[in-house]
Amino acid sequence: MTNLNAVDPAAVAQDAHLENADVVIAKSTIIFRRFMRNKTAVAGLAVFLGLTIFSFVGGFFSPWDKETIDPFNIGMPPSGDHFLGTSQAGIDLYAMTVEGTRISIMIGLIVGLVSVLVAAVYGCTMAYFGGKVDKVMLFVLEALIMMPALLVVAVATSGGGDGLKKNLPSWLLLIIVLLVFSWMGTARLIRSMSMSLMQRDFVKAAQYMGVPPRRIVWRHLVPNIGSLLVLDITRGVTGAILAEVAFSFIGIGIKVPDVSLGVLIGGATSQVQTFPWMFWVPLTVMFLLTGSLAMMNDGLRDAFDPSSSSVGRAKKNSTEKMSK
Amino acid sequence: MSTFLEPADPAPTAAERLHIAGLHSPSDAVLSVRDLNVSFNSENGAVHAVRGVNFDLMPGKTLGIVGESGSGKSVTSLAIMGLLPATAEISGSVRLKGRELLGLSDKAMCAYRGNDIAMVFQDPLSSLTPVYTVGTQITEALTIHNPGMSKAAKETRAVELLAMVGIPSPRNRLRAFPHEFSGGMRQRVMIAIAIANNPRVLIADEPTTALDVTIQAQVLEVLHTAQEETGAAVVMITHDLGVVAGIADDIMVMYAGKPVETGSVDDIYYDPRMPYTMGLLGAVPRVDVAEKSSLVPIDGIPPNLLHTPTGCSFAPRCPLVTDACLDGEPALSPVPGTGYHQAACIKSASLGGDVDVHEIFSAPPVPVSRFDLIPRGDRSTVLELKDVRKHFPLTKGALLKRRIGTVKAVDGLSFDIREGECFSIVGESGSGKTTTLLEIMEFHKDQDGEVIIGGISNKQAADAKTKSAMRREMQMVFQDPTGALDPRFTVYEVLAEPLQNAGMDKRAIKKRIMELMNLVGLQPDHVNRFPNQFSGGQRQRVGIARALAVNPKLVVLDEPVSALDVSVQAGVINLLDKLRAELGLSYLMVAHDLSVVRHISNRVAVMYLGKIVEIGEVDRVFDNPRHPYTRALLSAIPVPDPQFERTRERIILQGDLPSPLDAPKGCNFATRCPVFAALPAAKQEHCLTLEPPLEAVQPSAAVEILEAGPVPTPDQQFACFFPDGELDEHMLVVHETAEPHAP
Repeated sequence: MTNLNAVDPAAVAQDAHLENADVVIAKSTIIFRRFMRNKTAVAGLAVFLGLTIFSFVGGFFSPWDKETIDPFNIGMPPSGDHFLGTSQAGIDLYAMTVEGTRISIMIGLIVGLVSVLVAAVYGCTMAYFGGKVDKVMLFVLEALIMMPALLVVAVATSGGGDGLKKNLPSWLLLIIVLLVFSWMGTARLIRSMSMSLMQRDFVKAAQYMGVPPRRIVWRHLVPNIGSLLVLDITRGVTGAILAEVAFSFIGIGIKVPDVSLGVLIGGATSQVQTFPWMFWVPLTVMFLLTGSLAMMNDGLRDAFDPSSSSVGRAKKNSTEKMSK
Repeated sequence: MSTFLEPADPAPTAAERLHIAGLHSPSDAVLSVRDLNVSFNSENGAVHAVRGVNFDLMPGKTLGIVGESGSGKSVTSLAIMGLLPATAEISGSVRLKGRELLGLSDKAMCAYRGNDIAMVFQDPLSSLTPVYTVGTQITEALTIHNPGMSKAAKETRAVELLAMVGIPSPRNRLRAFPHEFSGGMRQRVMIAIAIANNPRVLIADEPTTALDVTIQAQVLEVLHTAQEETGAAVVMITHDLGVVAGIADDIMVMYAGKPVETGSVDDIYYDPRMPYTMGLLGAVPRVDVAEKSSLVPIDGIPPNLLHTPTGCSFAPRCPLVTDACLDGEPALSPVPGTGYHQAACIKSASLGGDVDVHEIFSAPPVPVSRFDLIPRGDRSTVLELKDVRKHFPLTKGALLKRRIGTVKAVDGLSFDIREGECFSIVGESGSGKTTTLLEIMEFHKDQDGEVIIGGISNKQAADAKTKSAMRREMQMVFQDPTGALDPRFTVYEVLAEPLQNAGMDKRAIKKRIMELMNLVGLQPDHVNRFPNQFSGGQRQRVGIARALAVNPKLVVLDEPVSALDVSVQAGVINLLDKLRAELGLSYLMVAHDLSVVRHISNRVAVMYLGKIVEIGEVDRVFDNPRHPYTRALLSAIPVPDPQFERTRERIILQGDLPSPLDAPKGCNFATRCPVFAALPAAKQEHCLTLEPPLEAVQPSAAVEILEAGPVPTPDQQFACFFPDGELDEHMLVVHETAEPHAP
C-alpha cells in the first residue's frame, strides 16, 4: 500500500462536502419530480386523494347515516334534505355512497398492497434459491391458480364461512379471500424478472463479495423490480376494487348491512328506470376511482423507469451537469 | 490511386457542379458520396450523427472506415443503404454507378439493395431468420432480383455460393437451419447472401467483431475471396485498426460524425497527421512486440453531437490544443507534400516525420512493481489450482433422462499465481476460460480438484467465516461494466457495499471511498452519480475500485477491456498496470485479445477444449510458440501494421472448435491441427490414440555442453508430440504482396 492511509487535506474537504450532501439528489425527489411532470397522472392522483378524503370526512356534511331510515322520504330523488336522494328503504344515498366508497377503497388498497408484497417476497425467493425450493413453490402457485376463485368466494362469504362470519365483518372476509387469489400472477412475473436479474453481473458481483442472500434479495433484486411493483400495486388496487364490485354485484361479496359500491350498484340495477340516481351515483364514483388509478399508473411508470422516454427534461439537466 | 476524397467545398468546381447535376461522372467510381449529413431528432434536440462525409469508391478496392463507437460509421453505412428510420434527416448525395440513391422510396431502393449494393451485418446470430433453411434464404435473395431464374438454376447457384464461402458439403448444408451453424459459419452464409447477385459494392459493418480471432481470420479470408470473385468494392467499417490494416486500400478515420483524416492505408498508419489518429494508433497494444511501453490514453469522452462544434471537435481531448484550434472547425485539407492524404488539423504540416506519440499524449512511464526484481520462485503463491475439473453431464429424453455423454468444460487444470504477477488465460470461446474463473469464484468443498486461495484450500473451507476470509483475498472485475453495476445504486453505494459487508463503520467507509476514487482516477465528487451518467471507461474504473475496496491480493479480470473503445481501453490497461505495481496485486485475467494479454501479462496459458495446451512466460510463448494451436492463434491476430500484414504468413484453421462431446480420444486439437494434417499416417495414429502430456522442453545435451553445466528449464510447457512440425500448406495463406500501392 502506498499513500492510502495518509490523511489528505483534499480528502478531508471532500468528506465535509459529502457531509453537507447538497450534491446528492435523493432518488425519491427525482421520482417525485418525474411524476409531477406528467399532468394526467397528477390529475389522477388529485381525484383519488379527493375521493379518499371524501370517504372519510364526507359523513360530517350530512345529518344522515347509512342506518337511519327516513320514513317521510322513501325512494325520493335528490332534494334539499337528501343531497343524492334516498333508497326505496328510505336510507340516505349520500351517506351510503360515502360509506361504500370507504369500504371499496380500503379493500382495494389493502388487497393491492399486501398481494404485491406477498408476490414480491414469494417471487424473489423462488428466483434466488432456484432448484427444489423453486419447484415446490411453483407447484403451490400453480395449484392456487387452478383453484376456482369464484366458487371459493361464494362458499366463504355465504354458507361455508359461517363460523368465520360470526367474528369477521363481511368486508374483511372478502379481503382475505381476494388476497389468497390475487398474488399468483404477479409472483410469476416477478419470478421471471428476478431470474433474469440474477444473471446480471451485479448480482454475481455481490455474491462474490460475500453479501448474504437476504441482503441481495432486498438491496439488489427488489429495487430493480421496483417500478414493476409500484405498477402492480396500482393495478392490483384497481383489480381489487373491480373484483369487489363484481362479487357484490352478483351477491356473493359484501353483504348487507355492510355497504360497498358494488352492493349499491348491484342493488340498483333492477330499478334503473324508476330510481336512476340509485344506479348512476355509485357507478360514477366507481369510474372516478378506477379511472384516476389508471391515470396515475401511467405517470408512475414514467417516474420509476430510468429508461423511460419521457425523461426529456431530466435527462437534459443531467447531461448538462456532466459536461460541466 | 484508387480513391480520392475531397473536402466539402462551398464553391464547387465546374466538374463538381456537373457531377451534382448528374451529367458528368468525374471518374468511374462505383459509389460516390458527397457531403452526406444525417441528423436524428431526440428529446434534447437534433443529434448530428454524420456531418459531411465524402468519398469515392473504385471498383475492386476496399475502403476502411475507422472510428470509436458513436463516431457515425454505422449511420453512414445505413444511410447509404437507405436503412435509416424515416425520422432521420439525410442530406447530400449518394451515387451508385452515377445514379442517385438518396431520396429514393423504400420500394425503389429495393431494386438496388441486395443487387448492386449489399451489406454484411455485425451480428451473424440475429441476421438470419431462424425458421427458414439457409438454402431458402439464399434463394430468396436470388429470386427477388432474378424473377426469371429457374428453380434448378437457383439451387445450383446457392450451392456454388456456399462452396465459395468455404462451407463443407454445401449441397447438404442447404437444407440446414441457421441454428445448426456456428457463428462463423453463419457469417459466411451472410456473406454468401450478400454476394449472391454479384454486387458492385459490399458494405461490411464490423463483420468480425462478434467472432473469435481464429474465426475472424477465416471470415476475413472469405471476404477477400468474395471480393476477388465478384470484383466488388468493399466498405469495411470497424473499430479495430488491426483488421483493416491488412485488407484496406484506403482509410477514413471518423470522429464526432466527421472524417478527420483520409488517405491510403500506408499514409494513415505510417504518417498520421491528425492527433486523434496518432492517439488511436498509439492506444493499440501490439501482439508482436515484446518491448514494454505504456499505451497512449486519450483522455475525455467524444463530444456531444447535439451542439455543432465551434472549434475542432477533438480539441477538448487533444494534447496539442491551442487557441487557434477553437476558432472554427478545420476542414479536411491536403497534407503538404503527399498525394491525396488529407487531415482535418491545422497542425497537420508540422506533425509529420518522427513525432513521438507517447510524448504528445504524455503517456505515463512504465510502472515497476517491487516484485519484479524478486525471482518468481521466491514469491509466495496467492492462487493455486490442482487438477480442477468441471464436467457437465449431457442428458437426453423428456421423462427419463438418459446420459448420452459428458461435456468436459474444464479438464484437469493445474497452475499457480505468485504475488505481483499477472497470469492470463487465452483461447477461443468454448475453450473453458470462463468456466475456470467460475470454478475459482465458486470455491466450495464438493468441487473436483483443489483450489487454494491465499493459503485457504476449498477442501477444508466449509464454514462461512473461512469463505468470507477468502472473499477478502480475491475480488472480481467483470467484462461488461454496465451490467456489473446496479443501475439503482450511486457510485457511493456501489463502493460502500463490500466495505459494509466487511463490517467497517460509516466514517471509515467514507474515507476509504475517497481513497478509492483517487486511486482509480475518478473525481471524488462523482460518488453521487449513477452508473448511467458515466462513460464506459469510467464505469469500468468504478468496477475496479469496487474490486479493490477490501484490499484483495488477487483480482480476477474477466475480459476487462473488451467492451471498451480502443482509446478508453488504453487508459484502463495503464491503470491496471499501475495498480499492479503500486499495490503489489496479482491478476488472473481471461481475455481473447492476445495483444492486450501480451501487454499486461507476465505468464500466459493457452486453453483448448478445457485443457491447457501451452503455458509459460508470456514473451517466451508469444515469440516462440511450440504448440500448433498457439501458433495458429498468434498468426490470426491482426496487427496494425499494413506492410507486416500484407507479407505475413497466416495459419487459417479449418472449421470451428469441435463440440466437446466428440472430442477425439488422443490429442484434442488433432481435428484442426495444421501439423497433424501434414504428418505421415503412422505419426497421425500416434496423435489420435495418445494424449500428449503438458511438459517442459528439457534443454538438449548439446546446449548443456555449450553452457558448461545444467541450464535451468525455461518457463514454457506445452502438450504436443510434434512441436515445430511442418505445417500443412493448405492451411497457410500468404497474401502475396504485389506492390504496396503507389500513390
